[in-house]
Amino acid sequence: MDDIDAMFSDLLGEMDLLTQSLGQETVPPASPPSTNKEVNFSIGFTDQNESLNELEDTDLDALMADLVADLNATEEKLAAEIQGLKVPSPPPSDLPPPPTDLSTHPASSYASPTSPASSTGSSVSTPASSATSPIPPPQSSKPTKEEIEAQMKADKIKLALEKLKEAKVKKLVVKFLLNDGSAKTLMVDERQTVREVLDNLFEKTHCDCNVDWSLCETNHELQLERTFEDHENLVEPLLAWTRDSENKILFQERREKNEVFKNPQNFYLWKKDKKALKDIKDKDKELLVQENFCGTSIIVPDLEAVLHLKEDGKKSWKQRLFQLRASGIYYVPKGKTKSSRDLVCFVQFDNLNVYYGKDFKSKYKAPTDFCFVLKHPQIQKESQYIKYLCCDDARTMNLWVTGIRIAKYGVSLYENFKTSEKKAAVSSVWTNRSTPSSSNPSTPSPTIKAKSPNQANGHAPTPQPGPISADFGNIPPPPPPMAEILPPPPPDPAFPPPPSLPSKGSPKPSLPQRKLPTNFPPPPPSMDNLPPPPPPPPIDDAPPDFLPPPPPTSGFGSLPPPPPPMSSLPLPPPPASFGRMDQSLPPPPPDPEFLPPPPPEPVFTGGGGGPPPPPPPPPPPAAGGGGGFPRPALRPVGSVKKMPPAPPKRTTPSLQGGGGDGDLMSELMLAMNKKRGAH
Amino acid sequence: MAAWDLAISVEDLGPDAPPVTLSVASDLHVGGVILKLVEKTQIKRDWSDHALWWEQKQQWLLRTSWTLEKYGIHADARLLFMPQHKPVRLCLPSGITLRLLACFSNPVFQTVMGICRMLNIRRPEELSLLRPIEHKKKKKAKDLDEEIYDLTEVPLSSASRPCLYNGMPAHFADSSQMEAIYKMLSVTQPPPAPEVIAKQYRPASVVDKAHIHGRWLDSSRCLMQQGIQENDQIWLRFKFFAFYDIEPKYDVVRLTQLYEQARWAILLEDIDCTEEEMMLFGALQYHISKVSQSEPQMMSSSAAMDDLESALQSLEVKMEGESSTASEMLETMTAPDLNDYLKIFRPKRLTLKGYKQYWFKFQDTSISYFKSKEESIGEPIQKINLKGCEVAPDVNMAAQKFLIRLLIPAPEGMNEVYLRCENEQQYAQWMAACRLGSKGKTLADSSFQSEIQSIRSFLAMQKSSSSSHGNVPASDESINTHSLVSPRYHKKYKPKQLTPRILDAYQNVAQLSLTDAVMRFLQIWQALPDFGLSYVVVRFKGSRKDEVLGIAPNRLIRIDLGVGDVVKTWRYNNMKQWNVNWDIRQVAIEFEGNVNIAFSCVTADCKIVHEFIGGYIFMSTRSREKSDTLNEELFHKLTGGHEAL
Repeated sequence: MDDIDAMFSDLLGEMDLLTQSLGQETVPPASPPSTNKEVNFSIGFTDQNESLNELEDTDLDALMADLVADLNATEEKLAAEIQGLKVPSPPPSDLPPPPTDLSTHPASSYASPTSPASSTGSSVSTPASSATSPIPPPQSSKPTKEEIEAQMKADKIKLALEKLKEAKVKKLVVKFLLNDGSAKTLMVDERQTVREVLDNLFEKTHCDCNVDWSLCETNHELQLERTFEDHENLVEPLLAWTRDSENKILFQERREKNEVFKNPQNFYLWKKDKKALKDIKDKDKELLVQENFCGTSIIVPDLEAVLHLKEDGKKSWKQRLFQLRASGIYYVPKGKTKSSRDLVCFVQFDNLNVYYGKDFKSKYKAPTDFCFVLKHPQIQKESQYIKYLCCDDARTMNLWVTGIRIAKYGVSLYENFKTSEKKAAVSSVWTNRSTPSSSNPSTPSPTIKAKSPNQANGHAPTPQPGPISADFGNIPPPPPPMAEILPPPPPDPAFPPPPSLPSKGSPKPSLPQRKLPTNFPPPPPSMDNLPPPPPPPPIDDAPPDFLPPPPPTSGFGSLPPPPPPMSSLPLPPPPASFGRMDQSLPPPPPDPEFLPPPPPEPVFTGGGGGPPPPPPPPPPPAAGGGGGFPRPALRPVGSVKKMPPAPPKRTTPSLQGGGGDGDLMSELMLAMNKKRGAH
Repeated sequence: MAAWDLAISVEDLGPDAPPVTLSVASDLHVGGVILKLVEKTQIKRDWSDHALWWEQKQQWLLRTSWTLEKYGIHADARLLFMPQHKPVRLCLPSGITLRLLACFSNPVFQTVMGICRMLNIRRPEELSLLRPIEHKKKKKAKDLDEEIYDLTEVPLSSASRPCLYNGMPAHFADSSQMEAIYKMLSVTQPPPAPEVIAKQYRPASVVDKAHIHGRWLDSSRCLMQQGIQENDQIWLRFKFFAFYDIEPKYDVVRLTQLYEQARWAILLEDIDCTEEEMMLFGALQYHISKVSQSEPQMMSSSAAMDDLESALQSLEVKMEGESSTASEMLETMTAPDLNDYLKIFRPKRLTLKGYKQYWFKFQDTSISYFKSKEESIGEPIQKINLKGCEVAPDVNMAAQKFLIRLLIPAPEGMNEVYLRCENEQQYAQWMAACRLGSKGKTLADSSFQSEIQSIRSFLAMQKSSSSSHGNVPASDESINTHSLVSPRYHKKYKPKQLTPRILDAYQNVAQLSLTDAVMRFLQIWQALPDFGLSYVVVRFKGSRKDEVLGIAPNRLIRIDLGVGDVVKTWRYNNMKQWNVNWDIRQVAIEFEGNVNIAFSCVTADCKIVHEFIGGYIFMSTRSREKSDTLNEELFHKLTGGHEAL
């Protein structure tokens, strides 16, 4: 079933994009405005048109991937409107973050070409429809059906379309706040796990990839904070946010996330005196982890403590003796023993998440500020269904929150830890390698290849591998990475400064010299789509990285480069993006390149995005709002940055090149038909 | 050398037959004695399993090349010539008794290995034998009635692993009776009748539990030396709670018996759990008994068959994927329709008092309702997305009340909604749909029908348990819920009060396969705080009162008898050495950091404590690389005490 759905979805992806952009209410986490989404879509279209032409040769999958890439690029370029080139795009991406693009994507499934004509037909039709009736996405769907009928067995397709809608894959553009106050924006597909998003952010930020890096959700209204577990899907909890929410997603190091694996004695032997715990030998730590996480059953630390409970709906805090068990939290009723059979169940964890409370002493008159909260993830406002607990000290609080996580998530936590450890190890090796390679700024391609694997994660379908690495360079924000980066590129010294936010913008210049440099120069390679000419190209590179292979997301990450465009972008962004796209397209033969990469499925979505552009107008406002936050930072950056050389390269590669303006739909149609014919 | 007369009783001649007298010299070796003896009896048969038992010394003369002189045997020795393998009544963790031949001459450790080999249980080092709890005289009569499965005809083999036939040891494939026995071993038993549970001995305190652990047989000595007689009853139980390398494919019997032991530990409150946990255990038992009746083959299929099956399955999937046309795909995607007139009540909305009837439609994971069927094409009055919501039943069969209580999460909190169904059928469908919806699944999900089924069978349970008074369950449709929980809850709840609570827990496990359900049961059992603790009442050196020592797979704990609190924990990995002073029967343990403890054992021999500690250390030395060979020597070194030397 899944496969089927996926296939259909792929085909229909374009349609979905259109419709979604129009009608869907994306729940944008960070940024409010839905407009952004639209913008993205629209952007996608223009580029896509060009790309479509090229697509004819390549296969649909490639198209999908390209489209996605284009979308990313376009988003980034939104700002670029003024510049008209792709370069600016990066900043825009940052801005938009908030809104999520719900566009559904089928992408991956589509990859299977076998689905033949019917599938292709449908996909084609969608685009066409969009082309014809650009404005309302929904309407577009009708046309598609008609086309399908003409070409294919209409009934089946209609049914399939309905199913597809159900199976829509949601995408959100999410803004991730970094410690230094800057932000990164990525498109996140609902099937992506936090781990995958973290990996994308690693590539974008050049951070050291250690196991503490986490995504945290903050709830402004309730003053809560929670670290997502790496195996969770990111989109789902974000969808629970209210439209006007001031919630944020933070990308930062959280020691407590994996502390239980680093110092299990603090949790499993918590009753022992501190000195004994401190002196514990490494092999004993290992043994503890083995005992508790590697057996047939996961063992939850047997916690017992007097905690303060805020009674339902009351202001007072009452003390109770609580116990943690694998099956839930219990308390000992007054006058009863601690025997298991007398315990009263306080909560079980099936439908609850655990959050840290911030500053509850003043907010709720809690006895201390060491509070944690249990609530259903969908509850966003004060409610009697939220359980507030207060501990005497920070240690107790961490003990309980970690214990609850172990009880709730079990072995997944340990698997997450092992995965992130591997990632940290690989990336450290990687950086070492990459640095050297980067040293040859001029020769981007080689380096690229080496790095390409990483990129693989991103969509990086782009022909030139080199660029990808460059992307990394863009990311710099995180200081640490910077350092690493620097070494390799001997010359660059000058650039180093740019780091943090500015770095995004500045990166380009600096990059070239550093490791990044390779990237930048190459940027073109990445193909991201972006039009070479415009300075911004770097952005493009970025996107590819982000774009994780998985169909969906892709890449909005482009943030880094765009700086300049940013300024311009702000207001117009959404609409602008479209325009940009067009602009970019012409020059950028590069986009075409993207297409070729064959990335896979993602393309479709991109296609979908394309058509919508026209409608986008409305979004702009929203976009502006969304953009607001990010922009500030970005703009400066942008100004700093320049659009270096990279773009050109891209252009060269660009397949379609010029096509740009043509209707994506029609182009797609053509491509599809060709393909069909081939089959 | 001078010859002298040696009288030997031959068991096979009967208890009243006079001893056979041989003329022997002190330099005759034991083998020669046996040869002479056999010749003199003039009975032709296979004597290979027979050996000489020296009654005064409580010792087997197994070294046939040793001379009588070397053994120190003189004319006054009372020797008995008898088989080394004798039948015993072996009580399994499931409570079922087998009659089989056990080795009376080797250390119990090897006897257990032999038994496990016969029963196809891997990792025999985790099990051991213990003396049964003495029954009162009344019960003895009942013991004779119980069905005993006879395995005494199984040939003794020394192969480390029996060859398998159809996934079971070849000796079980000999006849249909034997196959039935294997099925009994490898399939979980139906829930016991509540009276059976109530009649079983239940330890009421930690001290009672400690007494049970005083019954373990000594692994380094043979059955004969421990006073076990032919046809005696002994229990086979898992003793070391460190279950290594469980592989459902190969461990059918092991898993089943482990589950049975766990289930009885829960039912008899040998291990404490909370009410919520008890309900979940009850739900799992119900599910396991139901599934094991419907898919008994699953557990017994051989590894080879499994591989073949999975290969076939994947092939099928592949072909499906390739051949299916769009229409076929669409068909499979089509969800069944579910819409009907139901009544809704929202306690929080003042505007809606009482139940109001609307036309309800279930779509995707949402419920929409309309004023009437005719208006169902337009916009619904409301659409409720069930994803992530809590679903609880509120059913009373006698009163024909079928309520579904929904707690729907929203940003502001949880909204309470009640749906009222008219009858059982309607309720089962909508309840199943709501449950799927709450998990984010649509009606197209394959579990929809089975969910409906399980809800109906639970309703049936409630019906029957309210009419009959807990008679022995006739079919799985009418399990008395009292069969699933410990007697404490028999007093606390009536079966029909228990049913909804177990049903509530059941919805989370209803989709598990048999193996997964058994594994889940074991996992929850292992996650209980007191899991794996074997208790012994001890007297610590320098202390004047009895205390309890809890022995767990990774640690020792000291429990204050008065309060029941854990006073101190020592982990084995901090242990430097432990010694037993066999003269004063005291165990002394030294831990890192100059921590020394010493205690004498009150409810068990110190050999038992010694064996527990050494045994757990042995268990922790097992590793993948050498997983197939059991290091028997090491076990004895760690657990044998002075006798091993």
